[in-house]
Amino acid sequence: MSAPRTELASTAALRETMGAYYRGLGAAAETRSAPVAWCTSVGPAELLRALGFVVHFPENHAAMIGAGRTADRYLPVAHAQGYSQDICSYLTSDIGAYLSGESPLSAFGLKGVPRADVLVFNTNQCRDVRDWFEWYGRTWGVPVVGITSPRSVGEVTASEIEDVARQMEALVPVLEGVAGTRLDAARLVAAFGASRDASELWERCLLTAANRPAPFTFFDGTIHMGPAVVLRGAGEAATYYRTLLAELEERVSAGVGAVPRESLRLYWDGMPVWGRLRALSTTFTEFRTAVVASTYCNSWILSALDPADPWRSMARASVELFIARSDGPKERYIERMVELYGVDGIVFHDCRTCPNNTNTRYGMPRRLSERLGIPTLVLDGDVNDLRCFSDEQARTNIEGFVEQLADARAAISRAVASRAAS
Amino acid sequence: MAQQEVRIAAGVDAGTECVKAAIATEDGRVLGRAVLPTRGYFQACVYEVLAAALDDAQRHEDELAGIGATGFGMDCVPKATLTSTEATCHARGAFQHVRHAMTLVNIGGRDPHVIAVDGEGRRTAARGARRCGLGIGSFLMFTARHLDVTPTRLQELASAAGERPARVSSYCSVFSASDVLERLREGATREEIALGCMHSIAERIIEIGGFEDPVVICGGVAEYFPGVLGAFETQSGLKVRTVPDPIFTAALGAALRVFRPRVEAS
Repeated sequence: MSAPRTELASTAALRETMGAYYRGLGAAAETRSAPVAWCTSVGPAELLRALGFVVHFPENHAAMIGAGRTADRYLPVAHAQGYSQDICSYLTSDIGAYLSGESPLSAFGLKGVPRADVLVFNTNQCRDVRDWFEWYGRTWGVPVVGITSPRSVGEVTASEIEDVARQMEALVPVLEGVAGTRLDAARLVAAFGASRDASELWERCLLTAANRPAPFTFFDGTIHMGPAVVLRGAGEAATYYRTLLAELEERVSAGVGAVPRESLRLYWDGMPVWGRLRALSTTFTEFRTAVVASTYCNSWILSALDPADPWRSMARASVELFIARSDGPKERYIERMVELYGVDGIVFHDCRTCPNNTNTRYGMPRRLSERLGIPTLVLDGDVNDLRCFSDEQARTNIEGFVEQLADARAAISRAVASRAAS
Repeated sequence: MAQQEVRIAAGVDAGTECVKAAIATEDGRVLGRAVLPTRGYFQACVYEVLAAALDDAQRHEDELAGIGATGFGMDCVPKATLTSTEATCHARGAFQHVRHAMTLVNIGGRDPHVIAVDGEGRRTAARGARRCGLGIGSFLMFTARHLDVTPTRLQELASAAGERPARVSSYCSVFSASDVLERLREGATREEIALGCMHSIAERIIEIGGFEDPVVICGGVAEYFPGVLGAFETQSGLKVRTVPDPIFTAALGAALRVFRPRVEAS
């Protein structure tokens, strides 16, 4: 039996930060003290904040449904509306929850998701977000606007950035109309500054896991990334990440690992399996394996954001996002991460209902394994639909994978020892 | 008296369709074996199968150096002194017979695996089938029921089909089962359907990939349904062989690991 993980003390501050955000969102929606915008996770949140909107992120809401393991109740409700079980289970569980009159936000005193005055999407991640928002737009009779971003981008070009920047600027008059106010340039710069600060601090938090032992894992990251997602453009995110970073740096100095007696280190590509975060974290911990880095948590490092050039920098952040790229840049990115974090293997999550954030289906695991000389494991599952995930199959595969990595490492150690002795 | 000087161990492979036990000596001789269909609690099956294997070996439990456990229900094996992954046990058990590097294909009741085994009998890599490609044992049980034969008679039927397998999907076990019913409705013979099922399973294995000569097959499907091997050879163009008593491969490996939990490089 392995030693239990030590929880981060910052988790209390995280709860306070996220709780305050949800309560503020609920109060604004209830009292109509501020207009409500829905925004996709890497949509133009800074622009919305600068216009005085309170912003709801439905992907965050769907992840809460997944983590609470209530999606199985809601998915069939959306399927019955003609939304296929093969499409995004964030979409189907969120719409199903709405139709069921339930929401995990009730834990923060909200009656449900805040009713939107406008829904703003960015298709840099997938088309599903647009379909998702359009369902609510039709239901409430409110405008749905957004940006159609290029997908499968190779090298990012100036024309792509220009195109997206123009689309973002074109949102302004519509959003000003809904907000009933003009965009204030100083507020926009301030929102960008806040996002940039939070992004840099979040990146530094994630980079602490490059140390051995890693003070922080992918599973911690999926929880602690909350402020980076929902508080973009607000100062509270940076405040929280200063607290978290201080604790992580303390752990590094003291040699405290998130996984007791860390032995192996892995990289995770793809979506989390929200309903099995704890179970997977426990399994890896049991095998003294730390999942030290992930494409998913890194996706909220938005280094391109620049208060001095808001439109083009927002466009660049949108276009150069990992999920929007072709396999070439994606593979080069993962290669850099493998080297940076010193990982022994890569776990790819083949997310059944999220093909856009799944990188297993066009040969990438094998190509990377051959090029990097490290093994890869593909886990079948889903972000929210746990019918697509088998605990036993996952455990068997993880167990075998870890055993294979441990054997390989032992063989190398023996070879090194034997060479040193001779 | 000489018999008592030889150390023996038991290996138990608690699978989803069958529970297998083997009693083996340190040098890999199998003295006794037993297999039972999995039903009810794993613990009860294990007690029964272990007693039967010891009986077959004419030995007593207190003579055992240990009990190695593997398989889906390995955590339910009472008195297990060592638990090991299926891939490792299959590799170890097959190597006992083959004695050289190989691509080992384990086709059991649940999830097939393609396992790379090195020249020391160690598993160096393993890959499983897609989630939808699992449940091979249940699929064969379903097919046998609808063809109105005992599962083990499927092989006889398939052997009599000649070269004409009925088309049975390999994408998903549920789709495959539905295809069996559709082929029956269309009037395909039971023989053609039985052979079609062997091809369906072979396709699921082939798509896992990673085959390098020599290819060796083990597991319960290889024991009871060698037609799958023929279908695999036909479709892949690869020659395959099996190990003796393929259903006991992991149980033998689990027993051998009691004596040597880790195989060091020579």
